[in-house]
Amino acid sequence: MNILAFLSVLILVITFITLIFGIIAYFLYKTREKNKPKYSSYEEILKDMGDEYIYFE
Amino acid sequence: MVKQFILILLNILIVLILGSLLYIFYDKFQHIQNIFIKTGVVIVLFFTLIIISRYMFLLYFSIIKLIMKTSDEEKNKRVKTNFKVSIIVPAYNEEKVLPKSLPSLIAQTHPNIEIIVVDDGSTDLTYQIAKNYEFESDTKSLKVLTKPNSGKANAINYGIKHATGELIMVVDADSKLDKNAVELMAGYFINPEIAAVAGSVYVSNQNNLITKLQALEYVEGLNMVRNGQAFLKLVNIIPGPIGMFRKDALYDVGLYDDDTFAEDCDVTLKLITKGYKIDFESDAVAYTEAPEHILDLIKQRYRWTRGILQAIKKHKYLLWHFRKKPAASFTMWYMLFEAVFWPFMDIWTNLFIIYLSIISGVSILIFFWWVMFTILDMAGALYCVLVTGESLSLVFYAVFYRLFFIEFINIAKILSTFEEWFGIEMSWGKLERKGNL
Repeated sequence: MNILAFLSVLILVITFITLIFGIIAYFLYKTREKNKPKYSSYEEILKDMGDEYIYFE
Repeated sequence: MVKQFILILLNILIVLILGSLLYIFYDKFQHIQNIFIKTGVVIVLFFTLIIISRYMFLLYFSIIKLIMKTSDEEKNKRVKTNFKVSIIVPAYNEEKVLPKSLPSLIAQTHPNIEIIVVDDGSTDLTYQIAKNYEFESDTKSLKVLTKPNSGKANAINYGIKHATGELIMVVDADSKLDKNAVELMAGYFINPEIAAVAGSVYVSNQNNLITKLQALEYVEGLNMVRNGQAFLKLVNIIPGPIGMFRKDALYDVGLYDDDTFAEDCDVTLKLITKGYKIDFESDAVAYTEAPEHILDLIKQRYRWTRGILQAIKKHKYLLWHFRKKPAASFTMWYMLFEAVFWPFMDIWTNLFIIYLSIISGVSILIFFWWVMFTILDMAGALYCVLVTGESLSLVFYAVFYRLFFIEFINIAKILSTFEEWFGIEMSWGKLERKGNL
């Protein structure tokens, strides 16, 4: 098997796995966020979070 | 001079290699007869050309900017400005990072500085810790203001309204600045056309693969791009960790707005729309903490993408104002390209090549696609390492950067774009600072 063909297959497989993993990771992130309490204002978080802190990222 | 010569030679070499690769890429595709695939190929090639041209232009502009800057160096050394600079530090629950960031502001070499920490209704010891740093001397001072919590944009505006300096510098509470950053940036305001100057942002916590790849992204994808944009005096985002503004210009555009998640992008667009020029100082450096975990990285990019899209949506009328406001219109299209077109086309091309490999058994195309962009990334990284003195090992990470990092980020951008498109509600985020400044 020549080196170019091997590298091509390798990159193809990595690309495919990354696509799948990227989508899974996004939905994992969404699930993580969904499980956190929902707020519509800073004041609501402040009431609920107490000592923990929040900010824009 | 030798450095510039090497850079020019390097660029000629890249052009030759990329040209050959693009030809081979086209040649491999040419043998496939299916009309659907032919159309796809044309789209991919067209898009690849746009991306390569965009990249090369930015690289060239960046090099020209560097040459111009080097030739002006002696002149600039003599220009010592004495503008009063008010540094605004909006802080919400930043007790962990203030002890590292505030000393870097106090240690600035610029002689006339006023530091204003705006405690945005923190629930931790931010106010008390910042208070410990309060001082006042003839040329420098640090004061702490506190107000009920109302978000970053309002906190910055509050600080600006209490500022007495002619220049306003806005830094994130987790930004650690090099000691000459303010002095270097203030020098640009001798030119009355300049309304704002952006600085370079580096990753301080390069302790795992994710943060190292982000470090590469910051030097190559953000700082080099800004340096290239600065050739046209059209830097499209003044980064949150380090940006300086002329106070009059900020008042002229109505200060920061709080209706988007990307207040820095929004205020920059407002300045460009008013016809102001925005420059970049690559040697003014701020170090910031990058997300260390993959889900935190997605969260950050989700906010960046939606924030930028909100800013674009807010100013969308500018997209079609080529004649009246060419600079603003160009900037908007550029941002739209970066935020939406590029991620969609990148993922689409990858899917297309995978599909092609499955139906035709030709998998070599993905190799050429990857190698073209990896060469560009490595060239960009090498250029940045030469110019900035960042670690040479970052060049090596360019291999992984294109292999999975960018793809991963682009998936997050695409899904965030869909959410913004369908108006799915965004919630406030909570960032846990590790204090790794």
